[in-house]
Amino acid sequence: MSAVAQARPLAGFRIRPRPRTTELGLLAIVAVTLVVGAASLGATQQLREATEAGVTLKALDFTPPDPQGLLVYLGALLAVHVAFVLAGRRTDQVLLPTAAMLGGIGLLLMQRLPQDLVTQSFGGTQLGLGQLQLAWLLVALTVVATLAIAVRSDAWLRTYKYTWAAAGIGLLLLVFVFGSESNGARLSLSIGPVSGQPSELLKVILVVFLAGYLSENRALLAEESTRIGPITLPPLPYLAPMVAMWAIALGIVVVQKDLGAALLFFAVFLGLLYIATGRPSYVVGGLILFVAGAFVLYNLFGHVHARVDNWLNPWADPQGAGFQVVQALYAFGRGGVLGVGLGAGLPLIGGHLPVPAVHTDYPLAAIGEELGLIGLLAVLGLYLVLVSRGLRIASAGHDEFRSLLAAGLALVIGVQAFIIAAGNLKLIPLTGITLPFISYGGSSLLANALVVGLLLALSDRGAEPPPAPRDRRRRFRGFRLGKVRA
Amino acid sequence: MTPEPTPEPTLQPTPEPAAERSAPIRDVKVRKRRSRAIGANVFRTGIAVACAFSILAVGAGWWQVLEAQNLSTAPDNPAVVALARRALRGPIEDRNGQWLARSARDKNGEATREYRDDTISHVVGYSSRKYGTSGLERTYNAQLLGLAGADPLGDLTAKFRDRPDRRLGLHLSLDLRLQRAAVRGLGSDKGAVVMLDPATGEILALASTPVYDAAAIADPATATATFERLQADGGRPLLPRATLGRYVPGSVFKIVTGIAGLDTGAILPSTTFPEQPPAEAKGLLVNGFRIKDGHHPQTGATALDMTGATEVSCNIWYALAGLQTGGTRLVSEAAKLGFGDAIPFDLPTAISRVTSGDGPAPGGFTDDAELASASFGQGETFVTPLQMALVASTVANDGVLMKPHVVTALTGDGPGARTIAPETWRRVMSEDDARALQAAMQRAVEGRLGRQFTAGAKVPGVPTAGKSGTAELGGKGEPHSWFIGFAPVENPKVAIAVLVERGGRGGERAAPLAGSLMARYFDLYGKP
Repeated sequence: MSAVAQARPLAGFRIRPRPRTTELGLLAIVAVTLVVGAASLGATQQLREATEAGVTLKALDFTPPDPQGLLVYLGALLAVHVAFVLAGRRTDQVLLPTAAMLGGIGLLLMQRLPQDLVTQSFGGTQLGLGQLQLAWLLVALTVVATLAIAVRSDAWLRTYKYTWAAAGIGLLLLVFVFGSESNGARLSLSIGPVSGQPSELLKVILVVFLAGYLSENRALLAEESTRIGPITLPPLPYLAPMVAMWAIALGIVVVQKDLGAALLFFAVFLGLLYIATGRPSYVVGGLILFVAGAFVLYNLFGHVHARVDNWLNPWADPQGAGFQVVQALYAFGRGGVLGVGLGAGLPLIGGHLPVPAVHTDYPLAAIGEELGLIGLLAVLGLYLVLVSRGLRIASAGHDEFRSLLAAGLALVIGVQAFIIAAGNLKLIPLTGITLPFISYGGSSLLANALVVGLLLALSDRGAEPPPAPRDRRRRFRGFRLGKVRA
Repeated sequence: MTPEPTPEPTLQPTPEPAAERSAPIRDVKVRKRRSRAIGANVFRTGIAVACAFSILAVGAGWWQVLEAQNLSTAPDNPAVVALARRALRGPIEDRNGQWLARSARDKNGEATREYRDDTISHVVGYSSRKYGTSGLERTYNAQLLGLAGADPLGDLTAKFRDRPDRRLGLHLSLDLRLQRAAVRGLGSDKGAVVMLDPATGEILALASTPVYDAAAIADPATATATFERLQADGGRPLLPRATLGRYVPGSVFKIVTGIAGLDTGAILPSTTFPEQPPAEAKGLLVNGFRIKDGHHPQTGATALDMTGATEVSCNIWYALAGLQTGGTRLVSEAAKLGFGDAIPFDLPTAISRVTSGDGPAPGGFTDDAELASASFGQGETFVTPLQMALVASTVANDGVLMKPHVVTALTGDGPGARTIAPETWRRVMSEDDARALQAAMQRAVEGRLGRQFTAGAKVPGVPTAGKSGTAELGGKGEPHSWFIGFAPVENPKVAIAVLVERGGRGGERAAPLAGSLMARYFDLYGKP
């Protein structure tokens, strides 16, 4: 612990309620939107069933598909809000409602899809897709609240960045060795009954490490150069960890076959490198490395090759490899500008969903179909709101570590949403990563809850100042591997 | 702590960034510039993210507004398939108003599709719940279902609902009587007949055999058994041979060589080749490959011009004409007739080609031997019957190629109902060149020697022009039997291409069938 942190150990534990009217107002809008959406969804579903059965309904019934579930979710949001008020921290008031809106849309989507898409039994009780998503959302909200209220110091993140990095690499190795393969990608790690996707957690660890490393070496990376003849390069020794990052990203693709995570890590890495140094040459260099890497991977690995070919022309095999891509585009087309209505889309093909992975990889296709272009743009807008809040927190950060951490967390959400949205819209090859806050899945929700919770904690304008920076002269001693002295 | 040479302003517990900027600390400049720079970098990164998201918005707009119509009417879109189950389809009728396909409801209220007979199956196609659609049922699926004309902005209540008022029917230029005559004429042989009006490009008959029973595929009770049997059938009854079958053309391709030679000026109708008569006995040697002819007893030492060479189907004259024209010009002239690309048509079409195109010689030929063989239709040349009908039609229409079409009107009250007028595709050659070929093709049917090669193609009482073809396939077995032609020679009313797979010599099988079908046409529509 740093000296400054020790000086006021109890600073945050007084209870001094502070009203958060903006947050309350925005949460009210979220609640109204979700209730109206759920009612419309319930009516549409009953109408659809009646039409298919050839029955004429006497009156429309606006009962939502799972009213208790929705109430529990809204209640949990209110509880988190009250906890924030009681804690009295001056944290951002837009992040929670925005994330809650996205989570609520995801919950409605999961309640709307066939419940047997994912099921899990807990001691005799069978939980369906909507209930499982609700359970994960509640856990995620708890994580958000805990981090936003309890995290007062960032020393545990900045001091142990190499430890975090080591933990991240360890996690990666665990997946390499023990991970199970699905859809040609080695993504998930099972411990007992619970399985998770470590790459979701890894993205947070990556941002912590990069923020720590870059804030320490920023001046050097930004200002010093290595000259080789006429070419001016960044200081080479300090680039080594960066190149290592690039290699790890490639390694993830090669060994884990997880194209989405690799793309996300690399993009966030380049973004943070630029924010830290302000040197566009890094971004250009990184892009050149990316293109070179992509070219080699395309030519060396069958699964990359197949993905790209399927992206370029899914209509070559519309019943086989291109099925999901084509069906997702049909869904977007059916939606048009205004959408077919919540619950009215996704016509079944022989009793199956047209887009099998709609709850994980393709939620945007369902949103685009049922809520139309307008709904799709609104959801994309919500992600931009999250990113802009995160970047504001970054700009107002007390020091470089906090700025870079906040910017990195904001970028993680923005870039991940972009990658999967662009994949859904056939702008880039599809990569199997989740749509933050909306896709089904505990790992994804928990990792993004970590992001929002940390951003909230970082946004506290009354937070204690960061610990004293370490002795700058030590940077000339080369790399330190051990723990840093205070 | 080691004292810093430059004090760090961020060390001060400053709650507001504004206060930080105004802090009167010396030597703050360097540090502050960096601090502000990070803010600017964050801002620029934010702009970049916003730009990336606006690309997403453009992408979404592309699929949901601009492409929405195409995506929402695609035949295998599940919403369209679901609608097709409930909704009646528009009727399809022939040029005289005879119904060809019509819809009704069964006792459960589900839509059923009826087809007049199996002679039209390769044109009209089928619409099945299980196997989707084919033929015109596929091409015009959206219009027949009433899906076309929906606007991407609206239809909140009616999207993918059955909208009978939007449903369109198809009026075809096809004549059911000619179509039936063509299928009957092909009999148990595999083959194809294409008849069209050269002046308009309207298809009168488009027969492919064997035919299949589209009604049995449309009927859910018999669909699976029928479809599986048809797919397993070695005769490939599901293949629409007239549009998707590709065959060695044999001598009917000489007309393409003639068009290419005349239009590029490489040959004239009066062109003779001094090396032709002496080569007749033993064949003409090109690149070590010997080109032979069978008409030596009839023509002897006469140096033939184009008309004479066409009358007796002289391989050597056309090989020399092709060599004189050159590979590049032969391929590019053929492209003007529609070779090298799918013919724009109401049904899917296969690509006809002059050569495989990967050889080193000009035009993609392997060498002069291939070019010489291709010039009389025995190289690496593959053609569809529809393509050869267009060749005959172009000559008949004085060198102007009309766009072929079989749907002449979308009928009904919905949006998109319209008549489809004849459309000129392009002028392929001059009128004079076309007339020279007309005369040559008339001699091939009506001339003293020509009659021996095209017996039966002549329509009694009507001046008839044409060219037979016997496509040798190598090995044992009968050659493909071809005939292309038109009648009457002046102001032609009908152009025809007939192909009979393994039908024997062109003059024996295809030519008499073409003659009888053209005669049938003049029976129905009157002689000129």
